[in-house]
Amino acid sequence: MTLAETKKLPSPVGESKTRLDVIEKVTGAAVYTDDIPFGPGLLHARVKRSPHAHAKILKIDYSKAEALPGVKVVVTGEDFPKRIGLYLVDKHIFARDRVRFIGEPVAAVAAINADIAEKALDLIEVEYEPLEAVFDPVYGASPEAPLLHPDMADYDVPNYIFPQAGTNIANHFKIRKGDVERAWEQCAAVVESEFYIPHVQHVPIEPHVAVARWDDDGTLTLWAASQSPFAQRNLIAKSFGVSQSDVRVIAPLVGGGFGCKAGVTMEALPVAIASKVKGRAVKLTLTREEEFFTNFVRQALVIKLKMGCDADGNLVALKNTMYWDGGASTEYGVNITRAGGYNSTGPYFFPNVHTDSLCVYTNHPIGGAYRGFGMSELHTGIEQTIDMLAEKMGIDAVDFRLKNCVKGGDIILTGMTMHPTGLNQCIEKAAKAIEWGKEAKPSSPNKLRGKGIALMWKAPSMPPNAGSSAEVKFSEDGTVTVSLGGQEIGQGAFTVMAQMAAGVLGIPYESVRVRGPLDTRYSPYEWQTVASRLTWSMGNAVVAAAQDARDQLLDLAADHWDEEVEDLDIVNGKVISYKSEQEMSVKDIGIYGLPNENFEGWKGGPIVGRGSFMPTYVTNLDFETGQGDRAVVHYTTGAQAFDIEIDKETGRIEVLKSASAFDVGRAINPELVRAQIEGGFIQGYSSAVYEQMLLKEGAMLNPSFVDYRIATAVDIPIEHHVDIIEVPQDDGPWGARGIGEHPMVPTIAALANAIYDATGLRLEGPPFTAEKLYLAMLDAGLVE
Amino acid sequence: MAREAHPALPEFDYIKPKTLAEASQFLSEHAGESRPLLGGTDIFVRLRDGAWKENKFLVDVKGLDGTDVLTFDEQTGLTVGAAVCMNRLSSFPAVKEHYPLLAEVCDTVAAYQLRNRATVVGNICNASPAGDTVGACLLYGGILNVFNVGGTRQEALNTFFVGPGKSVLKPGDIVTSLQLPIPPKGMIGKYLKLNRNNRGDLAIVGVTAAAYPNQDVPSGVTVRMALASVAPTPLVVSAIEDYFKQEKLTSDTVQTAAQLAMDSCKPIDDVRGTARYRSLMVRNLAKQALTALLEKM
Repeated sequence: MTLAETKKLPSPVGESKTRLDVIEKVTGAAVYTDDIPFGPGLLHARVKRSPHAHAKILKIDYSKAEALPGVKVVVTGEDFPKRIGLYLVDKHIFARDRVRFIGEPVAAVAAINADIAEKALDLIEVEYEPLEAVFDPVYGASPEAPLLHPDMADYDVPNYIFPQAGTNIANHFKIRKGDVERAWEQCAAVVESEFYIPHVQHVPIEPHVAVARWDDDGTLTLWAASQSPFAQRNLIAKSFGVSQSDVRVIAPLVGGGFGCKAGVTMEALPVAIASKVKGRAVKLTLTREEEFFTNFVRQALVIKLKMGCDADGNLVALKNTMYWDGGASTEYGVNITRAGGYNSTGPYFFPNVHTDSLCVYTNHPIGGAYRGFGMSELHTGIEQTIDMLAEKMGIDAVDFRLKNCVKGGDIILTGMTMHPTGLNQCIEKAAKAIEWGKEAKPSSPNKLRGKGIALMWKAPSMPPNAGSSAEVKFSEDGTVTVSLGGQEIGQGAFTVMAQMAAGVLGIPYESVRVRGPLDTRYSPYEWQTVASRLTWSMGNAVVAAAQDARDQLLDLAADHWDEEVEDLDIVNGKVISYKSEQEMSVKDIGIYGLPNENFEGWKGGPIVGRGSFMPTYVTNLDFETGQGDRAVVHYTTGAQAFDIEIDKETGRIEVLKSASAFDVGRAINPELVRAQIEGGFIQGYSSAVYEQMLLKEGAMLNPSFVDYRIATAVDIPIEHHVDIIEVPQDDGPWGARGIGEHPMVPTIAALANAIYDATGLRLEGPPFTAEKLYLAMLDAGLVE
Repeated sequence: MAREAHPALPEFDYIKPKTLAEASQFLSEHAGESRPLLGGTDIFVRLRDGAWKENKFLVDVKGLDGTDVLTFDEQTGLTVGAAVCMNRLSSFPAVKEHYPLLAEVCDTVAAYQLRNRATVVGNICNASPAGDTVGACLLYGGILNVFNVGGTRQEALNTFFVGPGKSVLKPGDIVTSLQLPIPPKGMIGKYLKLNRNNRGDLAIVGVTAAAYPNQDVPSGVTVRMALASVAPTPLVVSAIEDYFKQEKLTSDTVQTAAQLAMDSCKPIDDVRGTARYRSLMVRNLAKQALTALLEKM
């Protein structure tokens, strides 16, 4: 359906409809994976993990564990020779020859209860020989560093990921546009910077939980808290050497994902264990400690930037070198590095760009998807450096951004032509909301006050051909069920899909049902619930399915009334004719069809609409230059701004005003868009002020909420100003683009720029804790 | 430091004695492998994290003689039974009227839900240098009533703490209540707690300050201060009290006194903060707390 066509529809699209899942979630009736009963036959798994950051496994003796009454099976890496991975297939489910991070699974036990499984772990004896470890990605990328994956050259990998055999560099993504070295000569000002963005965790309320059962016929059923049932089906089938159709993944509602329940993480563990006890369901629930240091993390980044502009303030050149701390496996992380590379200018036009984005193996926890997929880290560097350059030129930071930000028609860093974008409006709105340019005095002599702004862009980061599909089916009462494969992870995807289906079909929103659990046996295919892609990609599939159903209804009515389809419409659940002014309810025809005159036979039948969507236009990029016709599907852009005070006596930040403006193409449900923006902002603020995994020699020092602090309700600004900009996307449903991840992308940088405005200080990186700020102010002589 | 992947509560026996004598007897017979249990808000977390691995028995002393008492007497002051939770205490009218600082410090501990279980006596007996309520109890001149099968006794709080997690209590000792005498007339107080978040955190630094008119000292006002999280034990800064014997509380003397507080603390580096920051925050918060007293006077 084209935009022009969809716009005509009378629809709930654009209205803030109540969430479909609100009652069940508020009352506690909603079913999550842990709520599913499996009866007394259920086995409980526990995982023996590596205490070493890097070590050779010399010997594992689990005979005592096996002999413990109640233990049903003990497994080790010996049992599972195949690797697993979403992009670079580099990970063993259980370590085999060596361990590469503290917390890596080495063995596991399934027993009749968790206590016995726990006891059995202590009876497993593992002998290690410690090896030299790598904790710094810059060192890891150097020739001096020990090789963490000597067999990397043999790993399966898609042709757009570039591992460098004989090094620890699992992906080297390059942009070579123009001639950066010569371009410095044209610059009136050049600035250089370096930042470090540390590891953070997703900390969903619901820990990872998965239950697996292999049946005697060789089929597997996996129940999991999952953003990615189909990707899990595919990866697990490949790793266990079975057919995808023999793997069934059932995914109930998810209690918080933020990327950590994408791909396959801990789900492979119960699958592996259960493969040795056929017919028994095996359950593994991670403890909060395991959530913190054994599961995927947002990887750390070292970013080195050099940026220059000409005498008129036009950006001329950017050199960007990024060392991503990929961790012990980079199966997912290699694509974060790629995304970091093809977004490496931030939302700016530079004629000359030189980027090296390096994914480096280290002996840290495994880097994976985290809301923003590398963009918060990248923009923390880019957006502070933009401010530095504007200041050096004596140009207002907002004016500098308005002048240089990417605009429709620009040839961006990869050679792709930028589509129309409302970034300019976003900048103006966010700046206005915090009264940018208006002098603001501190509220007391004990405070410093500052304002800051930062922009962002982000494209969905995914394989070029990530697809979606959907089905629309009628019930006798005229309600419609939309089947789909994308997950409701709190973002409101089911609600938005129902609005779209209702809009296309011409039936009330209240007549549409979208429910979980997702089930790969029955749900239509969806690649993954990641990359802020559902509203756009799954939305397109739902629109196509609804259009298909609509066409069938209209064809049937046209045939029945002997009229032309062009004269018919569906309004409020009724097929109407503008010509003959006849009408009939869809509920009378959606299942049973219509009788011919005098009941001499029937026409129609149960209406089933089907639709699918896959972008067909994304091209690979050249390895040496990163150039290609179209690197990505589209960019969501936006801006965020802060007006803050810093307490000179403690270093604490107090947010006076904060604002977001994002171009979402079209807000299908404005309240849900607002909720995503507020939620993303809060998560961004939390990572800017509080969060950091304290890693020492690979060991996490703060694996609990006692010492891994996150923003709580009393820590966040009471009000967050939100502007929604709508410059439509040519292939989005009603012009919509995603907004799930973007609101946390510019937050660290915007806050850092406000801190600079207040203090004149640039810190190496977040979190900007009170302590860090106070001591920096003290060392700079700003406080006593 | 919890680095264990699946910490779990160790196996222990829950003992519910009928009398103080029985409880004390049990605790002394199982010295080193038993602990008294009050609200449990600290003990269960620490047991799960692997502390007190040798512990085999938790002896519930809630409900025993005198532990549920919460009374105020014009002559003897406030009696807070060991099992009285912080929410009950801070909403007790006599506490609000006569010991407002105690109510104030209780409300800074963790979260409301936890304060339905957490007790001030438990907070004291943990002997954590970070205890939020300890400073106020020290400044109110708190005394603990201790039961032991060998005999009851009283322990003054100012000599109670020995080291991190260590007090003068011996196996078989059960603190049944906390006694706070009638505060000096005109006593005012202030607690300032530095968290990493706005609420719900452990004290990175805690400063409790109190002042009251006192004709026995040349300055006419006694000023006292206790510090949390900056020494091996809750720390009463005697230098402050000495200083204000001669000096009146003014905006100038506040500066000097704040420096005295900083000089007297001995913080350490840990994941929650560095010694350097903590020292400086003692100075700055001491200044703020004393200034608050000045404004109230």
